[in-house]
Amino acid sequence: MRGLGIKAARVAIVVALFAIWEILSRTGIVNPRLLPSASDTLATLGDLLQRASVRKDLAVTASEVLTAFALAVPSGALIGFLIAENRYFAEVAKPLLFFAFSIPKSIFLPMFILVFGVGFSQKVGFGFFSTIFIVIMSTTTAVESVKVEHLTVARSYGATPMQTAFRVYLPSMLPVLLEALRISMIFNLTGVILAEMYASRDGIGHQIATWGENFQMKQLLAGVVMIAVIAITFNELVRWVETRCSHWRT
Amino acid sequence: MQPLANITPLKPAGAIEVRNVGQIFKTTTQDVVALEDVSLDVKPGRFVVLVGPSGCGKSTLLMMMAGLRQQTSGTITISGAPIPEPDPNRVGVVFQEASLFPWLTAEENVEFPLALRRVSKSERRAKAQDALKLVGLDGFGKRHPHELSGGMKQRVSIARGLVQDPPVLLMDEPFAALDEQTRMTMGDELLRIWAATGKTVVFVTHSLTEAVYLADEVIVMSPRPGRIVDHLQVSLPRPRTYEMLSGDTFGTLRDRIWRHIRKSA
Repeated sequence: MRGLGIKAARVAIVVALFAIWEILSRTGIVNPRLLPSASDTLATLGDLLQRASVRKDLAVTASEVLTAFALAVPSGALIGFLIAENRYFAEVAKPLLFFAFSIPKSIFLPMFILVFGVGFSQKVGFGFFSTIFIVIMSTTTAVESVKVEHLTVARSYGATPMQTAFRVYLPSMLPVLLEALRISMIFNLTGVILAEMYASRDGIGHQIATWGENFQMKQLLAGVVMIAVIAITFNELVRWVETRCSHWRT
Repeated sequence: MQPLANITPLKPAGAIEVRNVGQIFKTTTQDVVALEDVSLDVKPGRFVVLVGPSGCGKSTLLMMMAGLRQQTSGTITISGAPIPEPDPNRVGVVFQEASLFPWLTAEENVEFPLALRRVSKSERRAKAQDALKLVGLDGFGKRHPHELSGGMKQRVSIARGLVQDPPVLLMDEPFAALDEQTRMTMGDELLRIWAATGKTVVFVTHSLTEAVYLADEVIVMSPRPGRIVDHLQVSLPRPRTYEMLSGDTFGTLRDRIWRHIRKSA
């Protein structure tokens, strides 16, 4: 019952936010030209999703995000694993990674444009760059979460290195890795969209930037809602898997 | 002491021979002698307890019997053959708490050693069921470790150690993390399991009471460099009972061990 109440409260907050938005715009408290009403925005969103050009932009962005993700996660995981497994590497590289991680990645965007030009590889490259550091750092943490006792048990029962990797390392690391996956996707999406907004000929980030520049507030807000929903959906999907194996952490 | 290895030609399953074993840990600053000239015979089916203060190398000695660590000098044989690496067919190991895999159920944990050797699913399940029944956990197979009490978790660990039916069971302070009552109960349970299976057990503990209560023989070790300072035969009859704890024999044995340990503390 209490869980149900909490869920109801959450839904109520979201509904209330949309209601306030609607009222502010409808009553003219906020200029409707600056803030089109929620209902208009959602109608525009439905409209936009019908358009072939918007669908194409979404497809472009999706392909960039997935490519960047598919490149950054395995390479970051491999680097992170090698660092965590080698004491010397770990001691040398860890502070450097923290340095790199603390720098805002957006300041490097102009360089990506100079190196790659404007296009697919620039956006994927920047998405990759935005993501890889968090993947490396999370993987290092994940490897360190593997308990020595568990490795000793595997060894005492004659596990081969391959069996140890799949039966001990992987399940031990999985909860941390899933969390890493989720957070890297946030960084990745941010990177790609930013690259699109900054300089691009297509992609949904580019569309949103254009709508903003042309003062097309309905389309702009619809775009914001669209990206938000996509990001939240992915995030929740991974989080659902995460909670399913949360007891592994004990 | 003279090596006796070549005088005993017949070494039945479950016999443990430790001959002049030494262990030196090399650190960057110095070499630490953890064990020095340790010799020991464990006959098949005996329950032997290693006691001694922290840092006396009793766990190290146990890990070497398990093939998880190699001695610097001397020889160790299990069932007549040296043990250069872990061999689950000869030796089962039960560790301190938290050694169960939290992502596997109790029965999957017990099946783990069999799964490594690609034993068929049905055979695995059957053997795990038998082992769980033996340790008194019939019907708890589907639970995950976080759903089990500390004592139950150690029962699962024992079942995992026994599932391949090795003649030797090595136990490294298995009940150290349990509360006193559970610890006593688990002691009785272990003796019941030992009596039912006839395994050779080598058991490491800090607790003198536990040592005397469980053992046929108690080996007392000194701190660094670890050496055997006494080897007691516990003449108390079996089955052991709580009344024996307050008896004279028990007290005399415990005092004798305590005097060794106090001297070295």
